[in-house]
Amino acid sequence: MTPRFPASLQAKLLAVILLTTVVALAVALCAMVAYDLRLFHSKSVAELQTQAELLGQTSAAALQFDDPKVARENLQLLRFRSEIQAAAIYDATGKIFAKYAANPEQDRFPALPAPNGARSEGRDLFLFKRIEDQGQTLGTVYLRADNELYGKIANYAGIAAIVALVAILVALLMSTRMQAVITRPILAIAAVARHIVTTRDYSVRAVKTTDDEVGVLAEAFNDMLGEIQRRALDLEREVAERRHREQEIARLNAELEDRVRERTAELQEANKDLEAFTFSVSHDLRAPLRAVDGYCGIISEDYADRLDEKGKRLLAVVRDSGQRMSKLIEALLAFSRSARQQIQAAQVDMARLAEQAWAEACAAEPAGSAQFIVRSMPVAQGDAALLMQVWVNLITNARKYSGKRQQPIIEVGGEQRGAETVYWVKDNGVGFDMRHYQKLFAVFQRLHSASEFPGSGVGLAIVQRIVTRHGGRVWAEGKVDEGATFFFSLPSD
Amino acid sequence: MSLLTNQQRANAGSHRAGHRVVLAGLLAMVMASGYWTPCRAQSDLQIAEYKVKAAFLYKFASYVEWPPQVFERAETPLVIGVAGADALSDELARLIAGRSIGGRPMVVRRLRRGEAVDGVHILFIGRSDGGRLSETLASAKGRPVLTVTESEDAFALGSVINFVIVDDKVRFDVALREAEQANLKVSARLLAVARKVVAGPS
Repeated sequence: MTPRFPASLQAKLLAVILLTTVVALAVALCAMVAYDLRLFHSKSVAELQTQAELLGQTSAAALQFDDPKVARENLQLLRFRSEIQAAAIYDATGKIFAKYAANPEQDRFPALPAPNGARSEGRDLFLFKRIEDQGQTLGTVYLRADNELYGKIANYAGIAAIVALVAILVALLMSTRMQAVITRPILAIAAVARHIVTTRDYSVRAVKTTDDEVGVLAEAFNDMLGEIQRRALDLEREVAERRHREQEIARLNAELEDRVRERTAELQEANKDLEAFTFSVSHDLRAPLRAVDGYCGIISEDYADRLDEKGKRLLAVVRDSGQRMSKLIEALLAFSRSARQQIQAAQVDMARLAEQAWAEACAAEPAGSAQFIVRSMPVAQGDAALLMQVWVNLITNARKYSGKRQQPIIEVGGEQRGAETVYWVKDNGVGFDMRHYQKLFAVFQRLHSASEFPGSGVGLAIVQRIVTRHGGRVWAEGKVDEGATFFFSLPSD
Repeated sequence: MSLLTNQQRANAGSHRAGHRVVLAGLLAMVMASGYWTPCRAQSDLQIAEYKVKAAFLYKFASYVEWPPQVFERAETPLVIGVAGADALSDELARLIAGRSIGGRPMVVRRLRRGEAVDGVHILFIGRSDGGRLSETLASAKGRPVLTVTESEDAFALGSVINFVIVDDKVRFDVALREAEQANLKVSARLLAVARKVVAGPS
């Protein structure tokens, strides 16, 4: 127990005790003194009254028969009353008839008698009393006494000072003992609080030693400690749980990542095998196909005269099928190449690239009435040859599906959208049903029949592959008979 | 003077009379050596003296107790008989007008020569009564009558109170035995202001 602020509390308690003592004492003393002085005063006055009455009685005859000597003798008797300093008898006209003074310096008298009654003036208590007989005023008795009230007040003040001093001393002695009764339990609680702060041991409790307010404080303190302890335990449990959960999540994540990596590796391996297989199959299929086509050509040239019309027609079907198969193989090879070809990144003027793609598409098939609109578009960062392929495929696609319109319009453009640059190719062709959107970019998946719109079904797949390899994405919007818009985005630096 | 009530002022008259005697005495001494006739001064002095005596006479009533059978009823007047002192009688009549002693009205009766003293409570026999003094006193003897005289030998003749002049002031002596014989109780307070109290006839 290291008392840190006992001085202030003790001083306050001491002040309260002393103040209470002094105030109680002062009030009690004042009341007692006031009562006593009042009693004393009224007693003094009553005594003086009696004296005056007596004097009046004995001096009435002297006044009536004009004998000041007798009156003087009566007054002289007052010398046995030490408190009476002076006395006089006035006649009915207000002149002094006889007088008495305890000593020469008291030989002073009012020139005229005042009305009946006792009065205090300074240290003097004086009294006038009319002498009456048969309803006639014969004269007035005047008495002046030393007002012993002042002496008594001085005495009382002395007594009060001594009593106050003793009371304060006793209060001081007692309070130092009594203060400990109040301060010790409080300091004990403070010590417990400090102990808890330093050790963080919330199981410690303050000892309730009294049933008073300090006891209540101790109880409240203990309740608070209990609450804190409970909260701390809850918190610890919560933290432990959370840590456990986090560890579990981390473990699961790691597991998942491992599995994904494993799967990805497996997939990459399978993909590579598949690509190699596709490439080798396509490549190896070309030679026998070329042989089939070559020998069909020889047969149609050298044995034309020996073949009837049906034979010629069937041979033509074989050659057509062979050539279509050759195209398919070419497309497959192109698709395969698009996956393997290294990206030579450079700044590419996309508007120019789009125009070149349009020219190439027109070389393969004349434009006819089709209208080509190039909007302004930002430059791109990527492989010019591959991006050219993207434009060619998209523009060819647009031309193909708008070819049946009277006035086909193909519009290309591009803009910056946040962190990527978006390019688009828009046509007013047959469009497509958004319900089949899933099939749009898949290999060999077609929304229209080959007889309606010829194609390999690889073009858009190639577009998607190239754009994806550039870190972008492709998507499309369309409605049946209301045209389609194909978008591709490239990340801008 | 302003402190005194009107009644006090009215009452003061009786005391002034006493003082006037002193003044008159001094005046008399001055005038005795001057050109005022001694006769004139004597007369003034006598008037003042009678005034004081008249006042004393009626005040005696307060200090003397008569046997109860003397007064038939509570309001039976107290009679002061005056013999041989007409001037005093007049003065007294003026003085007691409207006054009472213990609720008892006072009456002055001028006694003629040979007139009986029946019903008189205080009897004053003046100097001018001359030779009739002993006769009058004798007639009151044994009765509850306060006899007041102003003669030097009156006590010998049975008077209760006798006025004397001392230093130009009116004083009086009291004969206690005569009072007892008259069945009168004289207050000690009156005795205290008497010049002397005699136990028996001097």
